[in-house]
Amino acid sequence: METLLATLVSGLVLGSLYALMASGLSVVWTTLGVFNFAHGALMMIGAFIAWTISEALGLGLIAGIAGGTAAAAVIGIVIERFLVRPFYGSRAMLLITVMTTLAAMIILEKGALMIWGARLKQLPRLVEGEVSILGATISAHEAILVALAPLLLIAIWQFTVRSATGRSLRAVGQNQESAALIGIDVPVAFAIAFGLSAALAGLTGTLLGSIRFITPTMGVEPLVKAMIVVIFGGLGSLGATAGAAYVIGFIEALLILWIGLYWTPFALFLLMIVVLVFRPNGIFGGRG
Amino acid sequence: MKTSLLRAALPLAALAVLAVVPVFAIDSFTRHLFIIAFIYAIIASNWNLSLGHCGVFNFGHLTFFGVGVYTAAIAAKTYGVDPWIAILLGGPAAAVAAFLIAAPVARLKGIYVVLVTFAFGQLVMQLVLSQSATTGGAQGMVRIPYLRLGDYSFLKDYKLGYYYVALGLLVVSTLFLKLVIDSPFGKSLKAVRDAEDYAAARGISVSRQRILVLILSAIFTGIAGGFYAIYLRVASPDVFGFGTLSLALSMVLIGGVGTTYGPIAAALALTFATEALAGIRGFEEARFIVIAVAMILVLRLAPGGLLRLLELLVPKSLR
Repeated sequence: METLLATLVSGLVLGSLYALMASGLSVVWTTLGVFNFAHGALMMIGAFIAWTISEALGLGLIAGIAGGTAAAAVIGIVIERFLVRPFYGSRAMLLITVMTTLAAMIILEKGALMIWGARLKQLPRLVEGEVSILGATISAHEAILVALAPLLLIAIWQFTVRSATGRSLRAVGQNQESAALIGIDVPVAFAIAFGLSAALAGLTGTLLGSIRFITPTMGVEPLVKAMIVVIFGGLGSLGATAGAAYVIGFIEALLILWIGLYWTPFALFLLMIVVLVFRPNGIFGGRG
Repeated sequence: MKTSLLRAALPLAALAVLAVVPVFAIDSFTRHLFIIAFIYAIIASNWNLSLGHCGVFNFGHLTFFGVGVYTAAIAAKTYGVDPWIAILLGGPAAAVAAFLIAAPVARLKGIYVVLVTFAFGQLVMQLVLSQSATTGGAQGMVRIPYLRLGDYSFLKDYKLGYYYVALGLLVVSTLFLKLVIDSPFGKSLKAVRDAEDYAAARGISVSRQRILVLILSAIFTGIAGGFYAIYLRVASPDVFGFGTLSLALSMVLIGGVGTTYGPIAAALALTFATEALAGIRGFEEARFIVIAVAMILVLRLAPGGLLRLLELLVPKSLR
């Protein structure tokens, strides 16, 4: 019973991480119809900038987290402006933007390696100490991640439902021409969606930088997991994506307990194939 | 008339030049670059078959190459299979991998094809890393048996033997691709790419063509992988990484998606360009940035690839 509880709690930590990653991908997808391969790299840049501000410059962790998040947002907007926007209206836009964001990922990863080197880095934790949930112990920092993830998801959801800007993002996602006709600035909406998504990635990176090591390739594994999440949940809606993230987190934690760390990726992949064969648009549907 | 003559003569002339290159390039490093370029040319031109000619958003093509690499490495080193046979085994092994991934992918659309093929590559890499007793894990495999022909060791003569084996593989692979592309099957692939509904209405099974094209594109990619392992005598999980993927992708893009010889020409040019960049101090990592930027510029400025751009420069009367 105690191992099962511990497993569920570790699944909650994984699920929170995947939810933050995948919801960023979902925001960009629903607004622009672009899958951003550089999403994991933006997370990594956030962590490195945070480390530079907090550790190398000694300005403190809070300043680091703010700086890392802001830097990721700026780079996200730059990617949208120069690597995504020029290809709008092109027939092969989906494929082209996969390639340009892949190129952006290479540039960011190799750039980070040249700037910061291969030496392992880590951020200090926001708070020290441990927290006990249902008898299972996790670090207080991880507990903050777990608590913050649903709050952020609700905030994004409320933003897209209630605020005029958020609604304009959804309008653009549904029909660009009509959105433009009723006076929505479509390019601005694109930039906001990309900036918001990138900020989310950057923030996730700064939080993860205290739990895992900061390396130029630290974004790859969360990106691949986020891909599995969006295959499960479909990219169409924020709620479905976030729900799928937690489901995958729990399944992964349980699989690690049952069949071990090595075979878990296969079992997850196999599950994904089965889902796709029966539900080509993900378990929760959504557009293809 | 002139069109077909020029189109037929140019590749033959290029082949003739490549056949005599070792006479002038007598050092093993230059020959090594050519051999690597030939391997990349096979990867890129076969990838172009599924991506360019059939429009399958396959981002797991390097997985087929990696499967070939490890099949040959394990066959030759662990099971003592003759290296020649081990190289060829890479082909069917990669074809099986292609079938496994093609079956679920054939029914999917758009971004989901990208995600699943990409995730498949990551999965195979996980398999290689976790089964370290068989694959050597993150360290990879070394000291794989080398090629021999009777008493002749291919390690001799500054890689002359390897050069011609690699060139021969590229020629056979290219003939195979031309055969596929010019056949009625090849035309049906273009129909699937350009007008899926119309193709289906004319009785072409879209799913079946997609599965077949992925399997066909995997065969020579896997053999090239087998040759890569036997030639370098090393198998490393790096082949599944983003570096190789982006390099091969840039060759397809810069050479021209859907052209026959573009990716081959781009593979030769880019291999030499990146190796030259790697020679400059501090550019070992930056060369990938240069390639990524080049990829973006080609997509932005010359979406048909540089070969199409060159074709436009040739006067109409000669085309």
